[in-house]
Amino acid sequence: MKNIITIVFRLTVSCLLAATVMGVCFIFTSNAKKHNEHVKEQQVMYALLGYEAGAEIPTTLAMHEVYRYIIGSSDRQSIGYLVPREHEGGFLFVNIDLNGSLLETKPVSLSEAEALEVEPRTKAVQAAVGPGHSVMFADQTIVVTNNGRRTGYLLSGKFQGFKTFVKVMLAVDPAFSIIGMEVLEHEEDPGLGAEIEQDYFKNQFKGKPFEALKAIAVVKAPIPDDYLAALNGKVGEEDIEKFREEYKDHDIYALTGATISSRAVANGVKGIVTKFAYRVNVLDEVLKEQQLAVSF
Amino acid sequence: MTLAKTRYIVLASLFFLLAPIFARAEGLIAGQSFKGNNEIVVTFSGPVDRTAAEEIKNYTVYEEPDPDIRLVLKSATLAEDGKHLILHFVEPLNTAIPHAVTIKGLAGIEKTTFKVSKSYLGYLFGILISALLINNFVFTKYLGLCVFFGTSKKKDTAKGMGVVFTLVMVASALMSWFFYNFILIPFNLNFLQIVIFIGLVSLTVQAVDTVLRKVNPILFNSFGVYLVLVIANCVIIAVPLILANSNYNVFETFMLALGAGGGFLLALYLMSSVSERMQLANIPPTFKGLPIAFIVAGQFAMAFLGFSGLQLF
Amino acid sequence: MQLIARGILSENPIFRLALSMCPAVGISTTVMNGLMLGIAVLFVQVFSSVTISIFKNVIHPRIRIPTYTLTIATWVTVIDLVLAAYLPEAYAKMGIFVKLIVAFAIITMRLEMFACKEGVKDSFWDGLGMGLGFMIGMMVIGLFRELLGSGAIFGYDVLGFKPLLFFILPSAGFFVVGLMMAFFNWIEIFYKRSKGLK
Repeated sequence: MKNIITIVFRLTVSCLLAATVMGVCFIFTSNAKKHNEHVKEQQVMYALLGYEAGAEIPTTLAMHEVYRYIIGSSDRQSIGYLVPREHEGGFLFVNIDLNGSLLETKPVSLSEAEALEVEPRTKAVQAAVGPGHSVMFADQTIVVTNNGRRTGYLLSGKFQGFKTFVKVMLAVDPAFSIIGMEVLEHEEDPGLGAEIEQDYFKNQFKGKPFEALKAIAVVKAPIPDDYLAALNGKVGEEDIEKFREEYKDHDIYALTGATISSRAVANGVKGIVTKFAYRVNVLDEVLKEQQLAVSF
Repeated sequence: MTLAKTRYIVLASLFFLLAPIFARAEGLIAGQSFKGNNEIVVTFSGPVDRTAAEEIKNYTVYEEPDPDIRLVLKSATLAEDGKHLILHFVEPLNTAIPHAVTIKGLAGIEKTTFKVSKSYLGYLFGILISALLINNFVFTKYLGLCVFFGTSKKKDTAKGMGVVFTLVMVASALMSWFFYNFILIPFNLNFLQIVIFIGLVSLTVQAVDTVLRKVNPILFNSFGVYLVLVIANCVIIAVPLILANSNYNVFETFMLALGAGGGFLLALYLMSSVSERMQLANIPPTFKGLPIAFIVAGQFAMAFLGFSGLQLF
Repeated sequence: MQLIARGILSENPIFRLALSMCPAVGISTTVMNGLMLGIAVLFVQVFSSVTISIFKNVIHPRIRIPTYTLTIATWVTVIDLVLAAYLPEAYAKMGIFVKLIVAFAIITMRLEMFACKEGVKDSFWDGLGMGLGFMIGMMVIGLFRELLGSGAIFGYDVLGFKPLLFFILPSAGFFVVGLMMAFFNWIEIFYKRSKGLK
C-alpha cells in the first residue's frame, strides 16, 4: 500500500513540475510568437505593395482595416462592415442588406489596437447589432491610402488547392488590377505544386487588369524564355515593365506537372478579386449616399 | 469480445452514421445535387408548374459563406415529367462549398429554400480513403517506420500488429478528441497537447491490455505481445496531433483513426508478403536485412504516390 | 569524448541502431531541415538525459517508463514552443515531426540504458553524442537529397539545374537511407574481413 502511495505521490509531483516548466515556457514564447507573426505580416504587406524589405516606407502611407461580418437574424441575413472613422477615431458599424441598401449605421467605440484582437471586436459588433442576431466574422481587408487618396487594397483569401487549402494575400489597385500576390500557406507537393511559391509563377499575376482576371484561364504551355527571365527578375526594370504590358491579357502559364494547382490558384485569385470588387462597390455607394465620414 | 459482437457493433455504428440520409427533409424538394461543373439538379416530390419553374428570376442562388454574391443563372430547364429541374450556371460552380437555393412562388409556396452540397457521408468516407491510401501513414507520411520494419517479417505478425494497432488507434483518438475539445481548448491549455496525448495513448494501451487479458485470453495470446510495441510508434501520436491541427469532429476523428490503422495494416501486410519472398531471394550481403527492406519500402512509396490527388467524393 | 565518438560512429542512431527512422525518411529533403530537426533532437536528448540523471535516485523503479515519457514530453513541448515562436518558417517546414520527437524510441532507450545509471556529466556527453550522431546522419541524408534533387545546398544553387527531382519526393528517403545503411554494412564487413584475416 505504501508503495502505491509513494508512486502516486512521486508521479503527481513530477507532473506538476513538468506542467510548471511548460507553462512558464509557454508564457515567454507566446508573446515572442505574436510579435514575430505581426512583423512578418507587415513585411509581406509592404512587399506586396511594392516596397521591398528595407525600402523607405513613405510617412504619408496609411493602412485602414475594414472588417466584414455576416449578421444573421431569424428571417434574413445582412453584411455588416466595421469601417474606421475619419475624425473622432473608433469605428463605424455599417449594416447593409443583401440587395445593397443600407439598414443602419452605428458608431462603435473601439481603438485600432483593440480591433486587432478577435474577442473585443466581436463583442463590440454584437453590441452594435443588438440581441437576437448572430454575428459571424467573414474577412478583413486593408485599404491603403497615400496622402488620403486610395492607392490600393490588401485582400487575403483561402481556397482549395490540389491537396488541401492554399492561403494567399493579394494587393490590388483601385481599379482592381493586381499589384502583387503572395502565397502564405499551402500543403502542395514539393517540387511540383509547391512551385506556386516561386517568382516565375506569382509574378505572372502582377499587373493583370481586372477584365483579364475575370476571364482568366490556365494554359499548358512552356513559358517563353525571355518572359521567364523577366519574371525571375533577371532583366532591367523597363524590360520587366514591357513584358508585363505585353502579357497582361494573356492566360497564366501552368507549372510543369502541377496543372491542377495552377488552375486552383488562378480560379481562387479570380474569385477573391471579383467578390471583393462587387462588395467594395456596394460599400462605396452606401458610404457616398449616406455621406459617412470614413478615413479612406 | 467475440468476433460476432464486434461485427454487431460495427454494423450499428454504420447504421448510426447512415441514419441522417434517411431522415431527409420532406416537402416540395425530394432531392438535390451538383451535376458536372456548373449545374444543379433538383428533384421535386410532384410535378410543378412549368412557367414558374423555368423563369430564372424566381431563383436566388448563392454560396453559403457569401450570401451577398448572387450566382448568375443561364437557364432553368424542367424535364418532361415536370419533376426534374436542371439549373445551368454561367460560371463553373465551386462544388466544395455548400450552396443555398431559394425558389419564389412555386406550387403555391411563397419561398422554398434548400441547400446543395456534397454528401457528408461521402466526405467522411473521403477522409477514410485519404488516411488509408492517399495519405497512407507509412508510405506517404513516413511515420511508424521504427516498428514497421521490425514486425513485417511474416504475414501473421503483420496482421496481428495491424489489428491491435487499429484498435488502440481508434480508442486513443476518440479519447484524445474528448480531452482536446472539452479540456484543452476551453482552458487554453493547448501547449499541454503532447503530454496529454501520449499519456492517453499509454493509458489506452494499458486498458486494452488489461481488458483483453481478462475478456479473451486466446486473442490476447496471439496479439497481446504487440501492444508494448505500439507505444514506441510515431503514428499513434500522430493521429491525435493531426486531429488537433485540423479541428475534426467526432465522426471525422473516427474515420481518420480507422483509416490510419487500416493503412498501417495494409502497409504491414504488403511489406510482409514481399519480405517472405525476399527471404528466398539472392541478396548481396551488404544489403541483407534492413537496407533491402528500405529499398522495397521506397518502391512501395513510389507506387502509393500514384494515389495522390485521388478524389472519390 | 569517447562517448561522443561512440554516438556519432559506432552507435549512430540512424544507421547502426536503426531507430527513429521516421524523420530520416520524411523530412530530410534539405540540409537545413536536417539541421533544424537535429538541433531539436539534440536539445531534447541532452536535457532529458541530464534531468533523468539528476533525479535518478528519486524515481521509483516501477514508474520508470512513465517518468521518462513525461520528461521527454516536457522538453519536446519546450523546444516546440520555442521553435514556433522564434523560427516560424523552419518550424512550418518540419510540420508535426518536432512534436513526434516524443515518440522516438532512441531517446527513451538511451535514458533507460544510460542516464538512469550514470552520473550527470557522463549523461550529458552521451546525450550530446547521440544527438550529434542523429543530426549528422540527418544532414548527410539531406545533403544527398538536396544536391541530387534540387541542385542546391542549404538553399544555395550549386549545380544550377535539378538532376533528379525524384530525390526530393519523400519516397526517395527510403532509398537513400537504405543505400546508406548498405554502405555502412559494407564498411563493417570490409573492416571485419581485414581484421579477421589477421
